[in-house]
Amino acid sequence: MAVNPITMAALVLIYLAATLIIGYMGYKKTKSAEDYLVAGRDSHPVIIALSYGATFISTSAIIGFGGAAANMGMGLIWLTVLNIGLGILLAFVLFGKKTREIGQRLSAVTFPDLMCKLYKSPLLQYIAGFIIVISMPLYTAAILIGGARFIEPTLGIPYSTSLILFALITAVYVVFGGLIAVMYTDAFQGTIMLIGMTVLLALTLIAVGGFTAGTTALTNMAHLVPKALADQGMTGWTSMPVLGSPMWFTLVTTIVMGVGIGVLAQPQLVVRFMTAKDNRALNRAVLVGGPFILMMTGVAFTVGALSNVYFYQTSGKIALDAAGGNVDSIIPLFINGAMPDIFVVIFMLTLLAAAMSTLSALYHAMGTALVCDLWGRGKECALSMRAHQYGIVLMMVVSTILAFMLPISIIARATAMFMGLCACAFLPAFAVGVYAKAPCTKAALSSMVTGAVIWFLWTAFFHAAEAKPLGICQAIFGKVTLLGSPWTAVDPIVIALPISLVVMILMQWQSGNQQPAAVAA
Amino acid sequence: MLFGIPDPQILIGYGLAIGLALACIVYGLLNWNKEGSNDGS
Repeated sequence: MAVNPITMAALVLIYLAATLIIGYMGYKKTKSAEDYLVAGRDSHPVIIALSYGATFISTSAIIGFGGAAANMGMGLIWLTVLNIGLGILLAFVLFGKKTREIGQRLSAVTFPDLMCKLYKSPLLQYIAGFIIVISMPLYTAAILIGGARFIEPTLGIPYSTSLILFALITAVYVVFGGLIAVMYTDAFQGTIMLIGMTVLLALTLIAVGGFTAGTTALTNMAHLVPKALADQGMTGWTSMPVLGSPMWFTLVTTIVMGVGIGVLAQPQLVVRFMTAKDNRALNRAVLVGGPFILMMTGVAFTVGALSNVYFYQTSGKIALDAAGGNVDSIIPLFINGAMPDIFVVIFMLTLLAAAMSTLSALYHAMGTALVCDLWGRGKECALSMRAHQYGIVLMMVVSTILAFMLPISIIARATAMFMGLCACAFLPAFAVGVYAKAPCTKAALSSMVTGAVIWFLWTAFFHAAEAKPLGICQAIFGKVTLLGSPWTAVDPIVIALPISLVVMILMQWQSGNQQPAAVAA
Repeated sequence: MLFGIPDPQILIGYGLAIGLALACIVYGLLNWNKEGSNDGS
């Protein structure tokens, strides 16, 4: 890297100092358990929007999926459509307001707590808390790995030290400041991300001669699509893959649907709705949230695809070849090669901000799930700030150990897996719970368990991308997957979510009006 | 071919992404002071 390491280190230290100061401001405002768990239910709309967006967008979205766009083309823009349409509009307008109203009325402080009070079922809280505590460390470990892999070359700190420092620095303000500190720092980090991605888009368009010139050049490169990708169904970087081809299934089911729908029922995001004082705050947050997500994912996917033009014009290679076949290296390589030195620094801070904002939210969600929803469910100790601090530290340690055990290539895969599991297990029960007049507890329990189990079975025995590295199917049946193409490319969410939804709707319909009027009425 | 992109599916995707972001802005402005039924409860 051409950037002066002293300059880089100085700016990173200034950023970290600012983050810790803002976290300290959050700590000073935290006076009660409600402050610690749901930010006192009085967050500013801009803070809510930036915190939601910055938590949603991690390094995986920028580096992992930006690299995927360089590899698979501009079809990823459909993920941005779902991110804004479902992740912001639908999430805030349809689910957000109801979640805030019910959460406030029932004094719910976590996502499992909300589910318990909606359905009047402690068992539901245990199951939801258990799923979070078991699955969220995987996603957290992926964020830790991504952050450490960035810190290692940037600041010249060994990987193991980078990982531990990254985990500890983020944990400090989460542990002491709770959700107020998390959301304050999220807003600061979201602002850095917005600046970084705006500059990235402008400089990329300058580098390729403007949007139309860049896309025209990219269209004319269709004959350069590698044979292996063409055989998978790829037709070019400015066109969708062949309908029904393996690449089409991967793009549409895993990337667009898996991540796009998965965002709707992520516990750490649902809690953000409960931090709003009133529905006006959520209405105003929509105004900021939509453009923010467009500037994050829309820019990452556009820049990723257009990087092929830059690499071809400067080296005669497409992006994937220039990066030595490593999709995760494409965006960093493009930044280092095509951008001025000062922007390399800005972009590195953008990535650090993206990683820390997601990581802090996950620490908080895991720690509160462990203490409030599992260990101390129903007890007064569950609302003790000290107990939650211990819970967050414990889950931070577990995630860090897991990060040391997992392979580096797990980042994007773990992200998609976590989001898919959240959607399959939680979405139908959450959606019915906030809207039904008499939500059926048995339906929610059955839907949640069915969604999680089917998701796991499809992941372990059918979807090649996960079944192969997991090796469970190979060990039991002696083959990588139980079915052949195209089922090996169909994401678990496509199978498990509809089944979970059907179970929920059928059992809810069967229960009719036999259930007593629920508190959600 | 519009904006150098030959596939209408990609163009529609870009149009929807930008349109939805604009819709978020319009929604936020139109409902700036609109309260829900249970506000202040």
